[in-house]
Amino acid sequence: MKNKTTRFLITSLIGVALLCVCVFSSFAFHMSNQSALTINEVGTLYMSSMSQQISIHFESIIALQMGQLRTLSGTISSDAVHSDRELQEELIDQAKARDFSYLGFCGREGTIEMLFGSQVTLTDPEPFLESLGQGQQKVAIGTNARGEKVILLGVPSPHEPTPDHDCAALVAGLPVSYISENLSLEENSERAYSFIIRRDGSFVIRTADAYRNNYFERVKVMYEDVNGITPEEYIQALTAAMAQGLDYSNEFTMDGERYHLYCTRLPYSEWYLITFMPYGAMDTIVNGFSREWGTLTVLSGAIILAALLLVFYKYFGLTRQQLREVDEARRAAEAAQKNAETAQKDAEHANRAKSEFLSNMSHDIRTPMNAIVGMTAIATANIEDKQQVQNCLKKITLSSKHLLGLINDVLDMSKIESGKMTLNMDQVSLREVINSIVSICQPQVKAKHLQFDVFIHDISTENVICDSVRLNQVLLNLLSNAIKFTPDGGEIHLALYEEESPKGEGYVRIHIQVRDTGIGMSPEFQKHIFDSFAREDSQRVHRTEGTGLGMAITKYIVVDAMGGAIDMESRQGQGTQFSVTLDLEKALVMEEDMILPNWNMLVVDDDRQLCESTVSALGSIGITAEWTLDGESAIEMVVKRHQRGDDYQIILLDWKLPGMDGINTAKSIRRELGDQVPILLISAYDWTEIEGDAREAGINGFISKPLFKSTLFNSLRQFTDEPLASQAAEGPEEKEWDLNGRHILLAEDNELNWEIANELLGEEGLVLDWAENGQICVEMFQASAVGHYDAILMDVRMPVMGGYEATQVIRTLERPDRDLPIIAMTADAFAEDVKRSLDCGMNAHVAKPIDVDEVMRLLAKHIK
Amino acid sequence: MTLKECYAALGGDYDEAMGRLRSEKLVQKFVLKFLNDGSYRLLCDSLASGDRDEAFRASHTIKGVCANLAFNALLESSEALTEALRDGKPPQPGEDELVARVKADYERTAQAIRAYQEGGAG
Repeated sequence: MKNKTTRFLITSLIGVALLCVCVFSSFAFHMSNQSALTINEVGTLYMSSMSQQISIHFESIIALQMGQLRTLSGTISSDAVHSDRELQEELIDQAKARDFSYLGFCGREGTIEMLFGSQVTLTDPEPFLESLGQGQQKVAIGTNARGEKVILLGVPSPHEPTPDHDCAALVAGLPVSYISENLSLEENSERAYSFIIRRDGSFVIRTADAYRNNYFERVKVMYEDVNGITPEEYIQALTAAMAQGLDYSNEFTMDGERYHLYCTRLPYSEWYLITFMPYGAMDTIVNGFSREWGTLTVLSGAIILAALLLVFYKYFGLTRQQLREVDEARRAAEAAQKNAETAQKDAEHANRAKSEFLSNMSHDIRTPMNAIVGMTAIATANIEDKQQVQNCLKKITLSSKHLLGLINDVLDMSKIESGKMTLNMDQVSLREVINSIVSICQPQVKAKHLQFDVFIHDISTENVICDSVRLNQVLLNLLSNAIKFTPDGGEIHLALYEEESPKGEGYVRIHIQVRDTGIGMSPEFQKHIFDSFAREDSQRVHRTEGTGLGMAITKYIVVDAMGGAIDMESRQGQGTQFSVTLDLEKALVMEEDMILPNWNMLVVDDDRQLCESTVSALGSIGITAEWTLDGESAIEMVVKRHQRGDDYQIILLDWKLPGMDGINTAKSIRRELGDQVPILLISAYDWTEIEGDAREAGINGFISKPLFKSTLFNSLRQFTDEPLASQAAEGPEEKEWDLNGRHILLAEDNELNWEIANELLGEEGLVLDWAENGQICVEMFQASAVGHYDAILMDVRMPVMGGYEATQVIRTLERPDRDLPIIAMTADAFAEDVKRSLDCGMNAHVAKPIDVDEVMRLLAKHIK
Repeated sequence: MTLKECYAALGGDYDEAMGRLRSEKLVQKFVLKFLNDGSYRLLCDSLASGDRDEAFRASHTIKGVCANLAFNALLESSEALTEALRDGKPPQPGEDELVARVKADYERTAQAIRAYQEGGAG
């Protein structure tokens, strides 16, 4: 398309240029022709007028001379009485007085009887005599005795011819030079010159370089070209014109120069005047004019061509730009189409995914439902067999839990897909999160005899801003997967460490790693791990329960909602590692001033990293610690220091050690040192199962992994000799919650719960009033003095009037303190309940069982 | 019988209760008071009379009390029943089993507390 346009443009440009050249050339050609014609016409006009002038001049000269001659003739007639002798003398005198060179009488035969001057012969007597015979005056040419040409003027004789007087006319002669001088036929300033010829071409008067006797001979020899015809044809044409008595005009070339000629008949004679003028002068002018014309033509042609070129160039540019625009538009259209196609594909994909989701869902729901239905039938059939029924119920419980989990996941998933999952950001203690996760996982870990390590490294910021429920969900998902897919006796490793966040001072980057020695995943499956309903479909995992939504939800929470990253490394048969990276905002809490006496401590653990990190954490709370990797070397170190009299103040001992385990090590140390040094066991396992053995071995206490700084501080604080230190440590907390004497209205339908709350919160210095349901709560609030109650703690599920309704009523009361803090207290800790309580106008939500610290923190936060 | 043994017998978490209530005296006080709590009777009555909303609230209350006292066995079964009764759902198959479990757990709890009471008194 582009080429076509270009070709068209170039072709038409060349065409128009050619046309231009043609038009201007023909124009120039025409103009040059026209100028030649013009020269011709101007020449003709000029020559004719010049010839006329000469002709008139000639006529007047001849008429004058004729007049003289007629006077002479008159003398003859008036003096008829005179004798011939006297008359002749008289005539001769008068003729001489009038400057005639010759005078004579011409007989009818043409013989001239001279009165004076030498004898003259008429060159061509017939027309002369004929005219005279008719009484006309006439001029003719004659030759004198010396052969010189003489102009003869003839006047008819007044006398009737007599036999003795054969006189036809009086004839006077003048030298040719007289005429030619008077007519100035010679070359003048304009280089024009003239001849006078007779009809046969013989010269009457010749001027310039003409030396031949006949003009026609001169023509034949000298003339190179007569305006396109040969000299002979020219002579014929001239002769014809002379015969018809017409003027004749033409051009010819002689000696390389162009001439214009003009021929006209002279009066009183049979003579013709031919005037010549070279074009030289006129040519110069007209040629100059022509050249100017030509230049102008070429110039204007060039200008028009240039203008055309410019127009074409512009047009070409415009066309190309339009082409480009069209091209762009087309490309945009194509892109849009591609987008649309992609969108359609996406939509189709989503649709397919949804169908797959549904069919998977149905399958996944059917499996536990089948179990429930089947087990129920079995139990019904064996209702008497208690053992059997119990067994069935156990299985039903399991299936129900699975079903519940599945439905919760599906709800989460649908929230995610509809974009409704929002994070409930609040202050979160990483220590608490990890502790609760560890305690949740412990039963499963124990059941599968897995080795479970929790490793905390350099956690400087324990409190961050995050959604604790979702963070728990992520950790639980990763850990339960690890537990699920790790065969009995395998290892699971949970690591948490921090580094500086690229998001700035106010943030901290948290790395969470969950590693297992489980069955791993195939590379194909790894690509789909984060898809909905992804579960490796192989024999090995067929028995494993799960919804297949966990990882999709995990990924959504970590990546999309929290803006973090999740990575995975896995090898079939070797294990899997998930790494979660999150940039979390640091919570602005007053870090407790955690300082302990400058104790010397020993940390014994087979994990070098754990040892180093624990020693560094201990260092930050003022304790100098050493570490070693096994029980044997630990005993050596302890004994060595004991001998120096510089005992460790406290020993931290891992339960599971290579070689000698923690309990045996403790026994050995007790044997060497006695009971004075406290020994604490550190483990991620449940303390209860080993407590008996441990106490027996002389172990004083237990610190559960992970070992956060605060975990260490709180566990070790009890061994300090100065009780002030611990009080000082609690001091800031109490100051933070200085709610002494505040009045709180507690709406709670259960007396026991009320008593517990009253007891615990009363201890914190609060003064509580009890409302047994929402209705009573509203009434009590209405009856109180304005500002009496500082806050309301509101159970949600109450008879007569629930917590939501009561809150709504209180918020619409006509009281200045109607917007006092109302905190929901309920056993329903779903995110929806939290949201609903906030929607009803409550300020916060706290879950049952009652957590005094949490309640106090929230009260302090909301009571101004 | 110690309070701790009592907790073990009724399927509760003594440490958790201690952590929350902070002193053995308080734990003891509330554990003993549990027997006087009318929620269980309310649950039984409302279930018998078919008042499912009331039964839900009663079950919910039991759940809340158990959570506070860390009576985990009864907490778990009452929680399951609470969910079954929530939002006025019609009776589902298996609900009777849930009720039976709550009753069994309640009896177990009550028995353990009574045993403790007698042991403590004696």
